[in-house]
Amino acid sequence: MDTNKFLFFFKDMQTSSYALQLVEVEKQFGDVRAVDNVSLEVKKGEFFALLGPSGSGKTTLLRIIAGLESAGKGSVFIGGKNVTKNPPYARGIGMVFQDFLLFPHKTVGENIAFPLKMKKMSATHQQEQLSWVLDLVRMKGYEDRFPNQLSGGQKQRVALARGLVARPDILLLDEPLANLDRELRKEMEVEMRRFQAEIDIPFVYVTHNQEEALTLSNRIAVMKDGHFEQVGDKLELYDEPATAFVASFLGLNNTISGEVLRQENDFSFIDWKGIELKIPTPNGIKPGDRIAYYLRSEKMHINPHGKSNPVDGSITLTAVLRDIIFKGQYSDYFVILDNDEEMVISDVPDIESLKIGGKVDVSWLPSSGFSFAADGEE
Amino acid sequence: MAVKQFLHSKDLKALALSLPGALFIIFFLFIPLATIVVYSFWRTESYTMIADWNLNNYLTILTTKTYLTFLFRSLSMSLAVSFISLIYSWPVAYYIAKYGGRYRLILTMLTAAPFFTGILLRVTAMQQILGPIGVVNMFLSNIGLKPLHLLMYSHYATGLGLIYLWIPFMVLAIYLSLLTFDFKLLDAAMINGASPLRAFWEVTLPLNWIGTCIGLALVFIPTFAATITPKFLGGVNGALYGNILAHQFGSTGTWALGSAMGVLMFTISSLFVFIVFKTVNLNRSGYTGKIAGE
Amino acid sequence: MASINHQASALKTGQVVLLVLLYIFLYFPLLFITYDSFVHNIIWPFPPEWTLEWYQKLLGMSDFHAGLKNSFYIGLFTAIPATLFSTAAVIGLLKYRTRWRGGMILLYISPLFVPGLLIGISTLMFNANVMGMSGKLISAIIANTTEDIAFSFLVILAQLVRYDWRMDEAAMVFGATPAQVFWEVTLPTIWPAILGAFLVSFILAFNNLEISYYNLGAIPTLPTIAWGSLRHGIKPELFALATVINMLVFSAIAGLFFLIQTGMVRFGYRGE
Repeated sequence: MDTNKFLFFFKDMQTSSYALQLVEVEKQFGDVRAVDNVSLEVKKGEFFALLGPSGSGKTTLLRIIAGLESAGKGSVFIGGKNVTKNPPYARGIGMVFQDFLLFPHKTVGENIAFPLKMKKMSATHQQEQLSWVLDLVRMKGYEDRFPNQLSGGQKQRVALARGLVARPDILLLDEPLANLDRELRKEMEVEMRRFQAEIDIPFVYVTHNQEEALTLSNRIAVMKDGHFEQVGDKLELYDEPATAFVASFLGLNNTISGEVLRQENDFSFIDWKGIELKIPTPNGIKPGDRIAYYLRSEKMHINPHGKSNPVDGSITLTAVLRDIIFKGQYSDYFVILDNDEEMVISDVPDIESLKIGGKVDVSWLPSSGFSFAADGEE
Repeated sequence: MAVKQFLHSKDLKALALSLPGALFIIFFLFIPLATIVVYSFWRTESYTMIADWNLNNYLTILTTKTYLTFLFRSLSMSLAVSFISLIYSWPVAYYIAKYGGRYRLILTMLTAAPFFTGILLRVTAMQQILGPIGVVNMFLSNIGLKPLHLLMYSHYATGLGLIYLWIPFMVLAIYLSLLTFDFKLLDAAMINGASPLRAFWEVTLPLNWIGTCIGLALVFIPTFAATITPKFLGGVNGALYGNILAHQFGSTGTWALGSAMGVLMFTISSLFVFIVFKTVNLNRSGYTGKIAGE
Repeated sequence: MASINHQASALKTGQVVLLVLLYIFLYFPLLFITYDSFVHNIIWPFPPEWTLEWYQKLLGMSDFHAGLKNSFYIGLFTAIPATLFSTAAVIGLLKYRTRWRGGMILLYISPLFVPGLLIGISTLMFNANVMGMSGKLISAIIANTTEDIAFSFLVILAQLVRYDWRMDEAAMVFGATPAQVFWEVTLPTIWPAILGAFLVSFILAFNNLEISYYNLGAIPTLPTIAWGSLRHGIKPELFALATVINMLVFSAIAGLFFLIQTGMVRFGYRGE
């Protein structure tokens, strides 16, 4: 355990306070720019998520950090050292892969000790580190099993242990929960936060699942077409999305688009397929411009027709209730408005008075949605 | 820590590893094959090749009735052997792949194993079974029946011997194809109203057609070039095209003519493979070109 | 419904019958000459008069020892390069995705589509007239190697398509150099495929007649000796030879099978 103290001391001595720093990293595959001028700093002890749809370049970026892919341009610093030209085995990283990628011919113990063996650490040292990490992931007693004798969750723990055992400067995680079922995923989410808090090694976590990113991380970078749309604290991203893409990607949204008819104070009025809607005015938008408006389903309310009691300034529209999906603490209500458009509202279940086919009032505060200039696509 | 440029292009690494063997094959197989194409346009005089470009060798083959007869005989033999092997191998490979369970591997290895004991010794073994003093006819005469002339140094005996030699290839090719076939697709077909036979035609066969074609090629090609089997099982009049080809390289020393025969053999084999694979429609074959991990 | 079940089980029974008949067809001749090799009355060996004379005759054959040695050399020195070439190629083509992959695979299996007779005569012509070297062991080894590269390539390819190459990436991330990756991760999982390819190449080259025959001239190998004596009628000592070779081949295959069954052979399956 003295070594651990020494390791931490050694880390503090290093000049940079960042565990990971990317400077203007680029990667081109043929005509496709998979990673486009990305800069990023991840601090020690941070749980950082790279969130994006498939094809957004997040996995490529992770592979560049790991050294499995070369950076076309730019630099990668890990633990304050420039490792841009280092091969993966000379970067001091740990990694957890999507399919775990445990070595099938090695036991759990051999799998976990692999990074230590590669470092040519002495046997006693290896044993020490191994027992520490087995304790951490609660896998004591499984050392002699083979990977094919483990359940999915146990494999996940072994993969994490292997990633952490050498106390890397940074742990990279590539969609590690994607292949687990829902129950196990919830359990592992809790566990991972615990490991991370206990050991102070920064996690860089790649996922396409916004829920996972929001649950696990402190900070999130939303990626699209190889660049960062927004980097920031997760609540900041959720409550103040900087771009239309971030607004649409996080949360369950109603997307409304239309042309600006007129403007009053900070608000614009748009024509949404025959309904005039009041929305906050995005920067630099004039009457005649097209805009997109994203409205989170949980920011809306639904009531039987005529029984709504909206807050001041709310918009209320009448609609027909098409379907209700019961989710436990809340329900998703699908309604059809007068202009034949559909909306989804998440609100408390009300079996008594909300019936499918019945008339309802839908209400929300215009300022609770996010509006952006429409970029032509949708 | 050595900091050096680590990543090169993937093409380069793939080529560095695969080029040596490829060059070996090109240099020691394709170039020799190309030389017999050259020699087929030369002539031989008292055991030396003379570079006197002409088409006489081909004219000789195509105008000599005996050569044409041998060619036709070999072609019919190969087609028959391939076709019979195909028909027989399908149910066998199908059974192993579908119902073999944990015995799948041993059942397949058992069909493939005889192939490794060598052509000559297998033909020797077959000779002990067929033929006038083979155990079948000896048995018949021992119990007072007339011997089966069909099996005595005849084309039928040759055909049976060739099936004996090459059917493992067909079973193996179809079996390997079936290994990657999802049998649940048949349930889907039958639930949607297809009879078992119909499901086979509509689903199983098309999705395993490439494997079947490979099997056909692997049986046809060595059968068309057979020399040993007809020599020992076919009897006096049993010679096939391969035998007269081999003959040119023996005592007669007519290498140029033999080369032309070889070129013709290769051309016909290639044509057969080409025609067979013409029937493959990659979009309908279930082929993805993907390999595990991609 | 009952009729469909009936039909299905009848089909299944039919398939079993065909399978059993195939095994009888394949093995009866081999078993019969094995039996024959131990009896004196080879033509109609019932009841058998047991003897070992054919084995003594085999050992006494003038060329037997030279033939055995030459066959062994051809087998060994064909199998080594064939396995090395094909292992490197399969790893290169599967591990590193390249646009050359399809063409290369086709090139590597192309020797399967050239009959042994043509390989034999073309290498004979090439060696004799272009290289000026005929009737040498090395010519036979080279010619056999071209064919056996294809066989061992297929054997290794069939196993390695299931190997997950990201396993190598994982090892590298955890500090393994390329050499360590190969020794620690790749080789321990793929060696059975390599061994299988080696055995297949060895056996095929050892037993090869058509390619070796044209390249060797007067140099004897077991198959050419057998060929020579067969041309002069049935030689019972060949039954002894066949029995010996069959035993060797079948014990090699049984050994390989044992390795696979006992789980010593595990490949880098995904998520298993």
